[in-house]
Amino acid sequence: MRDGGPEGTFVLTSEPQHLARLRDWLRGELTRLKVENQEQFGLQVAVGEICSNSIRHAYAGLGGKPIHVSVWGNEDRLVIEVRDFGKKFDPEAYRPPDLEAVPEGGIGLHLVRQFVDELSYDVTQEQGTRWILVKHRRRE
Amino acid sequence: MEIQVTQTQGVTVVVPTGDLDMGAADQVRRVLTELIDKGQVKLVMDLGGVGYIDSSGLGTLVAAMKQARAAGGNLKLCALQDDVRSIFEMTRLIKVMSVHATRQEAVASWG
Repeated sequence: MRDGGPEGTFVLTSEPQHLARLRDWLRGELTRLKVENQEQFGLQVAVGEICSNSIRHAYAGLGGKPIHVSVWGNEDRLVIEVRDFGKKFDPEAYRPPDLEAVPEGGIGLHLVRQFVDELSYDVTQEQGTRWILVKHRRRE
Repeated sequence: MEIQVTQTQGVTVVVPTGDLDMGAADQVRRVLTELIDKGQVKLVMDLGGVGYIDSSGLGTLVAAMKQARAAGGNLKLCALQDDVRSIFEMTRLIKVMSVHATRQEAVASWG
């Protein structure tokens, strides 16, 4: 394993029906990287939520738009990059959910943060948002 | 996603099988809304066959719960798998929604 960049990349288009195929691919990559089953579920949720946000917000629900997901890692950390090419994430417009109010939406990023140790985004590219999810790995 | 709907003891039992994600949420929403609109507001959803749920799936269940409660009923859940249960705990929905261990228990809770 290395930490220098993606070993595997999955490209899907922005139809929600493709999220299941993404999860299948991600499960295979995480197994290859020796990630435990319990952590695999959380990372599938986290990556799924970022991709759902891309479909819903970056591409406003339009199908046929590309989303790239890459995974790499080493003994210390696992890195997952999700890249879309639509409307950039606007942190000013983001409001954390009030869970006490039992919201019907807007809890995707809250869920992502439950399953990863670091979440960052980069909107400096010409188009879209590059999300980076980092999970620290426990040493045996 | 496959969704079975049955009636028992005046309670409507909805049994989805598969992943309750953004791709399936609309289908589940349509089924639940149709039942509530027809007056079937005593609902139990058996999630035993659901191994994955995301925020879209959760939002669908919350919306249906609110709709059913507004109509004098409720949407009760049962048989959550451990991973799915953890999502309900992280979002605190486990405290708000009526969650039961088994389908029998959920149906019986309607009295």
